[in-house]
Amino acid sequence: MIQIIVYGVITGAFYGLAAVGLSLVFGVMKHLNIAHGSFLMIGGFVSFWLFHFFKIDPFVSIPLAMVVLFVLGGLLYKGLFSHLDKLPEGLKINNSMLVGFGLTWILDNLAILFWTSDVRAVTPSYTGKVWNPLPGLRIPIVGLGVIGIALLVIFSLYLVLTKTYFGKSVRGTAQDRDAASLVGINVERTYLVFFALGAALAGIAGVVSAVNYSVHPTVGFEWLLKAIIILVLAGFGKVGPVFIAGLVLGIVEGVSVYFVGTTYREVVGLVIFILVMLKRSM
Amino acid sequence: MKPLTRWGENGMKRMFTWGVIVLFLILFPILAATEHTLNLLVFLFITIVLAQSWNILGGYAGQISLGNAAFFGIGALAFHFIAWRSGIPLFLALPASGLAAIALASFIGIPALRLRGAYFAIGTLALAEALRITIGNLFPRTVYIPTAYITSYRLVDRYYLALAVTLITQIVATVIVKSRTGLGIRAIRDDEEAADTTGVSLFKYKYLALVTSSFFSGIAGGVFAYYQISILPAFLFSPQWTFEPLVAASVGGSGTLLGPILGSVFLIILMELFALTLGKGYLIIFGGLFVLVVLFLPGGLMEASKRIGKAFSTNKPIP
Amino acid sequence: MLEVNEIDVFRGDIHVLWSVSLKVEERTITALLGSNAAGKTSLLMSISGLIKPRRGSIRFNGVEITKEPAHRIVEIGMGMVPEGRRLFPEMSVLENLELGAFLKKARNTKDRAIAEIYGIFPILKSKATQMAGTLSGGEQQMVAIGRALMSKPKLLLIDELSLGLAPLVLQHIAEIIKEINVTRGLTIFIVEQNALMTLEMAQFGYLIENGRIVGSGETNSLLQNEQIKNAYFGI
Repeated sequence: MIQIIVYGVITGAFYGLAAVGLSLVFGVMKHLNIAHGSFLMIGGFVSFWLFHFFKIDPFVSIPLAMVVLFVLGGLLYKGLFSHLDKLPEGLKINNSMLVGFGLTWILDNLAILFWTSDVRAVTPSYTGKVWNPLPGLRIPIVGLGVIGIALLVIFSLYLVLTKTYFGKSVRGTAQDRDAASLVGINVERTYLVFFALGAALAGIAGVVSAVNYSVHPTVGFEWLLKAIIILVLAGFGKVGPVFIAGLVLGIVEGVSVYFVGTTYREVVGLVIFILVMLKRSM
Repeated sequence: MKPLTRWGENGMKRMFTWGVIVLFLILFPILAATEHTLNLLVFLFITIVLAQSWNILGGYAGQISLGNAAFFGIGALAFHFIAWRSGIPLFLALPASGLAAIALASFIGIPALRLRGAYFAIGTLALAEALRITIGNLFPRTVYIPTAYITSYRLVDRYYLALAVTLITQIVATVIVKSRTGLGIRAIRDDEEAADTTGVSLFKYKYLALVTSSFFSGIAGGVFAYYQISILPAFLFSPQWTFEPLVAASVGGSGTLLGPILGSVFLIILMELFALTLGKGYLIIFGGLFVLVVLFLPGGLMEASKRIGKAFSTNKPIP
Repeated sequence: MLEVNEIDVFRGDIHVLWSVSLKVEERTITALLGSNAAGKTSLLMSISGLIKPRRGSIRFNGVEITKEPAHRIVEIGMGMVPEGRRLFPEMSVLENLELGAFLKKARNTKDRAIAEIYGIFPILKSKATQMAGTLSGGEQQMVAIGRALMSKPKLLLIDELSLGLAPLVLQHIAEIIKEINVTRGLTIFIVEQNALMTLEMAQFGYLIENGRIVGSGETNSLLQNEQIKNAYFGI
C-alpha cells in the first residue's frame, strides 16, 4: 500500500506541475489557456530533441525548454490572447478557451507534421533505476527527480510571488487591475510576461513528462484534462492548493486502481471532477 | 410554435436556389458520382448535421458544449445494436438512435445545465471523455455490420439517407429558430441574467436546446453506424466528433442557420485539398481560421460575406 | 499644473461628460463638487488615464496626457486615491504601500517613504501585516492615501474621500491632507459630495452637474453664494 502511495505522490507531483501554469494564468488574467497542453507537449519535444542530438540530460534541459516556451508564449499572447483583454470576464474565459483550443489544433498538428505522431521518451542512463530505502519499497530515481522539480517550482514561485516586486505586482494586478495601473504597473506588460511564465511552467511539466512518461504530439490534450480537473478542485491563483490537489488526485487514482483496475483509472479522476463541479454549482 | 417571420420576395428566390441545390444533390449519384465523392459527401452531410446540432446549443443558446461526441456515439451504438442485432426494422432504428441521445442528454443534461459558461464546457468535455473510456473498456473490440447486411450494402442508400437526414435537420432547425421557442433560446445567449428576469424560463429553453442538439447528434451517429462497416466503439466517442463540427460551425458563423453548412463545406474542401500533401495538416489552417474568427470575426464567414455584400451595394439609408 | 480642455467622455455609449474644462493650479487644493452620478468619478478616471476622452485634451505641466495609459501618467507625477479606496485586499498594509512605490524611481527611497507614511498615519504601523481587506474604512483610506503618496507625485487626485467614513475620522484625515499640501507643496485635486468639508479645505472649487461644469471660483465666494448654499447645504 505504501508503494501505491509513493507512486501516487510522484504522479501527483507531476499533476501539480502540469496544472500550476494553467491555474496561475487563469487566476491572474482569467484566460483559460487550453493550449497549455500543447505548450507542455512542445516542452517535452524540446527536451527530447536536445537529448537525442546532444545527449543533454532532460533535467538539465529544463531551463532551455523554459526559454523556448517563454518566448513562444509571449509571442502568442501578444498576437492572440491580448486581444481578449478588454472583454468582460465571462466572455473572456469563454473566448480564451476557444482560442486556446484552436491554437491546440494548430500546434499539435504542426508537431505531427514536423515530428510525426510517434511516441517518444527521453531515456537517460538512470531510467528504470530504483532506490530501495526500505525493504519492499521501490522509488524510481526518475520519480525522485519529478518530486524534486515540483518542490523547486513551488519554492521558486513562492519566492517570486511574495518577495519580488514583479511577483507582488502580479498579485496586485490580479486583485484589482485598475488600482494596479494607478500605482504605475503596466498591466498589459505584466499580463504578457506572466502568460509567458505560464507557458514556461508548462514547458517544465513537458520535460518531466518526456522523462517520466512519454511525449507525442497529442499528449497535451490528455494532460490538459488532468490540469483542468486540478484547476477545478484546487481553485485558481494559488500555488499551494494546486499541488495539494495534484497529490490528492494522484494518490486517489493510485489507490482506486487497486480496486477497479487500471482501465478505469482515468474515469475516476473525471468522475470526481464532475461531482465536485456539480456540488459547487448547487 | 408559430412562425414569426414571413416569406418576402427574397423568400421565393431563396426557395428556388435551395430547390436547385437539393435537386442537384439528389441527382448527383446518377450524374457524376464516384465512390470517393459519395463517401466524401456522406461525411460532409454528417458533419453538417453535427455542426448544426452544436450550433443550436452553442450558437443560438450560447451554451458552448464540448461533449457532442457523447450523443453522437450513443446514437451510433444504439443504431448499431437496434438495426443489426435486434429484430427492429431499419427505419425505426434511426429515430431510436436520436431518442437514445435524448435520453442520455436528459440524464446528464439536467444537472449539467446548472453549470455556467466555461464550467458547462469543461463539464460536458469531462462527461464525454468519461463515457469514451468506459465504452472503450466495455466494448474493446471492433464491431461489424453483420455479414448478411454487408452483401447487400449499397453506398448510394447511405448517401440518400445522409442527405435526407441533413435536409430534415436543416428544416427543423430553421423552423425552431424562427419560432417563439427559438426566440426564447436566443434570449438565453444574449444575456442570461436579463432573460432570467423577464420571465423567460431559463431552464426550459436550455433544456429544449440541449434536447434538439442531442437528437440531431444522435441521428448523425445513427447515419454513421449505417454507413460505416466496421467501428471501434470508443472511436465513436472520440473528441473529433465534437470539435470538428464545432470549429466548422464557428468558422461558418455560429448563431446562423447557414453558418454550419458553409463551415462544413469549407472544412471538407480543405480536407480534400490537403489530403495528398499535408494530410491532417488541413487542421492547422482551419484551426488558424477558427482562432481568427473567435478573435476578430465572431460571425464567421456569414458575417464576412454580409460585410462584403454591404461594401459592394449602393448606399441606401436603412429605413 | 493640470489643464482639462473641453473633454467629452463616454462610458460605453453613454455620454457622461460634456465639454468639461477646468484648471488646477500648483500648490493648491482644488475641489470639484457634485452629487452622485454627476460625472465626478468619470472625470477623475479620464484625468488619471483609466478611460480616454473622445474629444478634448488634458495637459499636465504642459505635457499632453490625453491618450496616455494610466501607468505612464503615474510615472510623470500624478497619484490617485480612487473611489472606494481600491486597495489590494489580499495583501498586507505594508505590501500595499510597497506596491505604491512600484515605479523604479520610487523603489530606491521606498523604506524612507514608508517611514514617512507611518509618521503621518501612526496607526498603520501597528497594522503593517494585516490584510488590507480587513481594515476599517478610515484605516483603508489612510492606506490608500499613503499608497498614492509612495510614488512621490506632484499632483494627487482624491475621489470621494468621505465615502463610508465616520465624521471624526474624516475630519482627522482632512486635516492631514491640508497639512500635506502645505508642508510638501503637494497639489491636490479632490472630488466630493461632502461640500462643506471640501470647501473648507480647498482654495478653488468647481461645481459639476449632469456632466457639465456649472460654476467655479474661489471657495470663499462659493461658500457665501446663496444658490450654492441652498443646493449643497440645504440651508
